[in-house]
Amino acid sequence: MSTLLIIAHDEWRYWRRSKLALVTIIISIVMALTSVVLTTISVADENHQRAHLQQQAEQTFVEQPDRHPHRMVHYGHYLFRNSTPLSTIDPGIDSYTGKAIFLEGHRQNSATFSNQQHSSQLTEFGPLSPAFVLQTIAPLLLILIGYSAISRETEAGTLSFLLAQGLSYWQLLLGKVAALFSVNLLVLSPFILGCLLAASHGESSAIIVTFILSYLVYLLVWTLFIVAISALTNSNNSSFAMLICCWLFACLLLPRIAANTTQYLVEQPSKIENDFAVKAKLRELGDGHNSADPAFLQLKANLLAQYQVEKVEDLPVNFRGIVAKNSEAELTKILNTFAKEQMQRELKQSTTNQLFAWLTPALAIRGLSMQLAGTDISSYHKFLREAEQVRYEFVQSLNKAHAEQLNYQTDINRYQDSQALQNARVSANNWQILNNFEFKPFNAEQRLTQSKLALMQLTFWLIILAVFLGLVGRKSQC
Amino acid sequence: MLISLKDLKREANFLLRQKRIFVLLLITLILTSFALYTGIIEANKQQQSITRLLQADAQEQEIVFNSKNDYGSIAYYNFHLTYLPPSQLAFAAMGNRDTHPWKHRIRMLALEGQIYESDIGHPELAATGHFDFAFVLSVLLPLILILLLHDLFANERAAGRYDLLTVTASSPLKIWVTRALVLTLSLFLTFILPFVVAAVFNQVAISQIILVGLICLAQIIVWAAICFGLAKTNAPAPRLASILLSIWLITAFVIPVVGDAVIEQQITSPNGGDILMVQREAVNDAWDLPPQTTFDAFTQTHPEWKNHTSMNKMFEWKWYYAFQQVGDQQAAELTKAYTEAAKLKYQAANWLSVLSPSIAVQRAMTRIANTDAIASANYQQQVRDFHAELRSFYYPLIFNQVEFDQQQLALLPQFSANSHK
Repeated sequence: MSTLLIIAHDEWRYWRRSKLALVTIIISIVMALTSVVLTTISVADENHQRAHLQQQAEQTFVEQPDRHPHRMVHYGHYLFRNSTPLSTIDPGIDSYTGKAIFLEGHRQNSATFSNQQHSSQLTEFGPLSPAFVLQTIAPLLLILIGYSAISRETEAGTLSFLLAQGLSYWQLLLGKVAALFSVNLLVLSPFILGCLLAASHGESSAIIVTFILSYLVYLLVWTLFIVAISALTNSNNSSFAMLICCWLFACLLLPRIAANTTQYLVEQPSKIENDFAVKAKLRELGDGHNSADPAFLQLKANLLAQYQVEKVEDLPVNFRGIVAKNSEAELTKILNTFAKEQMQRELKQSTTNQLFAWLTPALAIRGLSMQLAGTDISSYHKFLREAEQVRYEFVQSLNKAHAEQLNYQTDINRYQDSQALQNARVSANNWQILNNFEFKPFNAEQRLTQSKLALMQLTFWLIILAVFLGLVGRKSQC
Repeated sequence: MLISLKDLKREANFLLRQKRIFVLLLITLILTSFALYTGIIEANKQQQSITRLLQADAQEQEIVFNSKNDYGSIAYYNFHLTYLPPSQLAFAAMGNRDTHPWKHRIRMLALEGQIYESDIGHPELAATGHFDFAFVLSVLLPLILILLLHDLFANERAAGRYDLLTVTASSPLKIWVTRALVLTLSLFLTFILPFVVAAVFNQVAISQIILVGLICLAQIIVWAAICFGLAKTNAPAPRLASILLSIWLITAFVIPVVGDAVIEQQITSPNGGDILMVQREAVNDAWDLPPQTTFDAFTQTHPEWKNHTSMNKMFEWKWYYAFQQVGDQQAAELTKAYTEAAKLKYQAANWLSVLSPSIAVQRAMTRIANTDAIASANYQQQVRDFHAELRSFYYPLIFNQVEFDQQQLALLPQFSANSHK
């Protein structure tokens, strides 16, 4: 053990002497720290804004005056998505999806105003998120620091000297690994602070621990790889070139190649195309605004029979309200079927993309990190489903008020004169139907289950690299 | 110092016979071809999607025309497809076509409530970004160049041949310049040849092909100059490459990201959510206001309808569309500030790209391919213009209470992606 420490210590001494390594270590820490601080500030800022907008939206809704309930169905409501605690470390797709969604009767709108659409678009090659720094930049910096760990000794001939002195090759390898690993810990420290901050914002500790461990494993994978390649090659030069090529493929090229391939493999019709299909299906249902639509004849007959009356005018409920309520229910069923299909296709794209993580650890950690942070597509789907739930509930309670509190005759004659219009209203008390909406990601257990594949992939990489280093160690021993 | 063809041939023979260089060039060729091939497929998919949408849109319109018999209802129920087709060159630079909407269906209602709907691709894939030719040029090219050129001198030095070569060559500089020239030239060809084939296949204008060629050349010259300048120092090859990579890292990632943070901080913009809220309040409040209040606001921008505002019924379409228009008018200032801010951000970023060759290349490519923020802003303006056309088509029919005539509908403005530039 102490031999390992001596070797690790010696490596540190080498880094301190070589300006480049020292500068690189400092740069890594500064980048990690800056990204954590800036992302934390901007997420806090955004959350504050969204909370304000959400509260404002709820307030204006309940403060609306007495009016016809269907007017409120179209007045609609806004939901604003707040960020999850760990999005300070991995914002994932947050800036690519809309933040605001307008909820109204008869329609499922998509979320609007994504940050990406309204940005300088300078972050084309990567955002300033701690996740990006750790997933993509950190391995490169580790390579710059560690490429010569063993090859330097080989090149200078000190390797045989060391071995002749009784040092085992294994001890040398592990000592170098330990040295690089301590750099990992240094680079990770600002990030761990960020995670602890997220924990103070209510993130579960199981998630935080898995999250930190995952990144540690990811950097360990690179560390093992760097030392193994450095041992395998005869010169600093070829160790360096080889490592850089691997980094290029693993971190920059393969993720994008995977995205291109996924888009090629899994078809995803656009939302507008989906809208046409929904429209066609809906046409069979009839227009909920028009209670005379023949599609509602059956409903009318049933209702008359149920209350044992002859005409709709004699019903104890407002037939127009009933029609509105029923057609909203039918329509929502169809909308939900289509929305579900759309989400399933999107999930299929995600899982297809995730398969490429068997080819690069960068994609394994990327998927894992987003899933744990609750900033992946399935978390966004959860937001959409909850928004739909809110939409359906408030629309239906308005329709219920329409059916129960507004007389049918008053309702159909509302455009006769301004007095009739005045009469066709229900009390503003009916608008007290919104609960404070706050988006919460999946709970810890669900998120851990969702990230099973990515966890497996990351573990796979750790095993592969451990075996690889083992082979390198054994080969050089004989 | 004249470099003869013979010198070039000799060096080419020498360099390309090195397995490492040959493999690197081969991989580059394969990656470039992959980027181009998938780009062409993606552009085709988008084109096909537009064709399908146009068809569905026409059918939908037919149904609305046949089921309604007054202009007000038709304007209410009839959606119009607008779109920004992928340009001929889009396959090479997909730009923001998976983050910004390039298709919208709009109708005569307040536009501000519709125009921010965005139908975009899978956000996880969009966040990763495209592997297109623009990415190859802006990010991959400098890296390959660094891998090829960083050990130009250092390797010969390490192999002990440096002094020998310098002494025996007729001009000491000539041999290195020739060697660098052969390397950059073969790299240039590796990038540009597959592109030219793909571009010709996609019928890209010659001028655009030449422009892209120049961008590629400029990027190679910039990075070759940096490599060449630093390669003369006495440092060993990996150390040199580390410095070069750091320069690349700083220009491609750090400067843009820091710049972005500064720009976001400096340029303030109204919140997108506010636009929607203002527009909605305006439209909804109008239901409870006396119609004359709405018409007063409306006729301020449309004085020609001053004498057509009297209402005979409690609900008339002209009143309905007037308050939709007023809703847009009330949000207009916010909208203007919002789009201005986006424009300012993009322009400020243009200045910054001077410091980052990678960003500069990406921006130049997406500009030529019409897939950048400017293209998106222009498209949004087209949608606004088209919506205005719709209004000026329907207003006379609705305000003059013209007798309904199916024939009139043939004159309905149709969005055309080409007539707007």
